[in-house]
Amino acid sequence: MIWTVMQTSWRRLKNNRSELFLTFVVPVIFFSIFALIFGSRDSSSSTPKIKVAIANAHPSELSNKAVLLLGEQKSLRISEHANSTKAGDSKTTVATLDRATAEDLVRRGMVSAAIVFSKPTDQALPNNAPKIEILTDSFDQVASQVLAAIVQKAMLTATAEIAKSSNPINGSAMNGIPNAAMQPVDVQHALYTRANSSGSAITPSNPLIQSPDTMSMLPQVAVVDVIGGKKTNPVVAMYAAGIAVMFLLFSATTASGSLLEERENSTLDRLLCSRLTMDQLLLGKWAFLTAIGATQLTLMFVWGSLVFGIDLLHHLEGFAAMTLVTSGAASSFALMLAALCKTRMQLGWVSTIVILSMSALGGSMVPRYLMSETIQRAGLLTFNAWALEGFNKVFWREMPLTEIGTELAVLTVCGFGFIVAARVFAIRWERS
Amino acid sequence: MNVLATPELPAIQSTQQNDHSIFALSVVDLWKKYGDHQALSGTSFDVKPGERLALLGPNGAGKTTLIRSMCGRVRPDRGEILLFGKSIREPNVLQSMGVIPQDLAIYADLTAQENLECFGQLHGLRSRKLRERVKWALRWIGLEDRARDLTKNFSGGMKRRVNIACGVLHRPQILLLDEPTVGVDPQSRQRIFEMLDELSQEGTSIVLTTHHLDEAETRCDRIVIVDHGKVVADGTIDQLIEQTIGVQREVAIEATGLMVAAPPGLRWDATRQRFLCYVENVADELPGILERVQSVGGVITDMEVHQPDLHHVFLYLTGRELRE
Ligand SMILES: Nc1ncnc2c1ncn2[C@@H]1O[C@H](COP(=O)(O)OP(=O)(O)OP(=O)(O)O)[C@@H](O)[C@H]1O
Ligand SMILES: [Mg+2]
Repeated sequence: MIWTVMQTSWRRLKNNRSELFLTFVVPVIFFSIFALIFGSRDSSSSTPKIKVAIANAHPSELSNKAVLLLGEQKSLRISEHANSTKAGDSKTTVATLDRATAEDLVRRGMVSAAIVFSKPTDQALPNNAPKIEILTDSFDQVASQVLAAIVQKAMLTATAEIAKSSNPINGSAMNGIPNAAMQPVDVQHALYTRANSSGSAITPSNPLIQSPDTMSMLPQVAVVDVIGGKKTNPVVAMYAAGIAVMFLLFSATTASGSLLEERENSTLDRLLCSRLTMDQLLLGKWAFLTAIGATQLTLMFVWGSLVFGIDLLHHLEGFAAMTLVTSGAASSFALMLAALCKTRMQLGWVSTIVILSMSALGGSMVPRYLMSETIQRAGLLTFNAWALEGFNKVFWREMPLTEIGTELAVLTVCGFGFIVAARVFAIRWERS
Repeated sequence: MNVLATPELPAIQSTQQNDHSIFALSVVDLWKKYGDHQALSGTSFDVKPGERLALLGPNGAGKTTLIRSMCGRVRPDRGEILLFGKSIREPNVLQSMGVIPQDLAIYADLTAQENLECFGQLHGLRSRKLRERVKWALRWIGLEDRARDLTKNFSGGMKRRVNIACGVLHRPQILLLDEPTVGVDPQSRQRIFEMLDELSQEGTSIVLTTHHLDEAETRCDRIVIVDHGKVVADGTIDQLIEQTIGVQREVAIEATGLMVAAPPGLRWDATRQRFLCYVENVADELPGILERVQSVGGVITDMEVHQPDLHHVFLYLTGRELRE
């Protein structure tokens, strides 16, 4: 008996070409997609790098040297974002970027962090010892820790190199750095400051630079949280958007299956024999799915604000705008998938693959900055990425409505494009 | 010649127009091909106002394709469908038509009343008019007491009745039904035909496909038999019999014995296991037939003489039995 059930199931599967294909080919495709997204293959070009901006606001030989060394770091990608606004080659750009601009770049999420060399405020420190700050987005905890260590290493290397070149015994005169510019003692003072001055200062004990007289003096790097520091929204705000957008897509595609159901039992024939046109049918379904989607998102965020402390009340404007365009785009997308498929079974399969891939790529599962460069760029093709970016700007970066214009525009265009595509695919149902 | 021919042309066209406009529905030379398969090949017939027309044909004859073309859901390769002389492609013409698909095209997760309201609205009924028509429909299908039950909990016959009601709320002048009584017990079938009779008395033209010959014979005014996408017969039952078998009687002979060849003038019907032929005068012709069977070595074991009915007409025309 059990055998018969198994046999019949197998025969049914065998007779259903597309399902057979999906059953055995999809795992391979699926595996490949996720392997590509989360495990970058070609290490040289697409390993995740920390995207940073460097503001050398108080240039000195030491800081210039450190900037050069940082530029050679494989794990960093120095943002040349300021290039577009400020003319000149990248070196001068780095030099002219000021602290405020750097902070702005971090706030907007253009870079993960900014390294700022500025004039020391501490009078006890020698004149040319820069004050080093790392401005970060506290969401990206790993990046700031790694970055602090890298900066310290660069500073130590720079100090050592300068010290070496200024010392005649080490033959520094031959490498062309004028001795007059060198003040080795001052540099030492500048770099090695008291380790206990700040809680957020990072003082690795590098045995190489620990000479007896500088034991207590380590390069101090202050990590400044420019977003999380002041904010009321916990990190859950960022995850909420990711989960919500993925959920929205699943919910909308399931509901859009009603279109295929109507086709299967010829209700569609009857609907189209009435005064209803295909345009109206699709628009009606779209409006309904959008309304349901918006309600679901609202429900999630209201619950999030009640239980998990998301500050919904102070971001209502941005939330409403993002919720509307996101659910609109998700509904269009769902209808397009439904219009593309032949049966509800097929829709189930196709939507699962597409939505999971899009969510992974678009950052609903793992933040996008952890992915390799290529994948991050590919992620921009999914509308998850844009939706998440918009929600993050609203809840995490606390930006005003005007700042999410790009996201709103992209999502609106996507939504429009998808519904037009759905309409085109539905032509085959209108008349056979 | 030219001078004479020119003024004649519009006259011919206008008479053709008039010809069609006296019919509720005209199907004019309809062709439809699916891939390599010619589903309709030049189908033409007319339906008068208030007429009940049965479309008969073996499986795959093209009946469903025909119904779907009539309501604009299938785009024919060639040909025209006219409602009261107007092409269905003209705006708003289709609104005088009601269609009841072969499948149960209702929402199982809505109640009977909600289904009726939905399709009523889609046909343009609003507020008071809608309420009135829904109430009428529930009474018409005899489901007033079940109005607020979900249709998925209904019996097959009840679902069929809701399915039909959803297509007539807007008082269509022409109603198309594709196998409205399939899978329905005799009582429910009786009930459905009573419902349809009520509509036809109010002047609605009804076109239905069916595989029940008795329904076509007793419940419809006219019969159109379709085979291979063509109309092979069109008329009342009496006309069809006269056109095909005429006043002839069918003679069926069961014979055993070793026969060297089929008896001349008789046809072997494999399903009935009998030799068949048609005679006009039983008394005169029967002895000759029996003689012919015996002359090829047949031993007659049984013999029947039938008065022809639609079943014979159908067999005569299509060479096939209907299903059921
Ligand atoms: N959408 C379609 N695509 C391809 N072929 C079709 C399609 N619809 C119908 N056909 C073919 O056209 C022919 C006529 O089909 P149709 O459904 O009209 O027959 P029918 O007379 O309604 O048969 P039945 O009595 O079984 O309901 C069949 O051979 C069928 O396979
Ligand atoms: Mg059919």
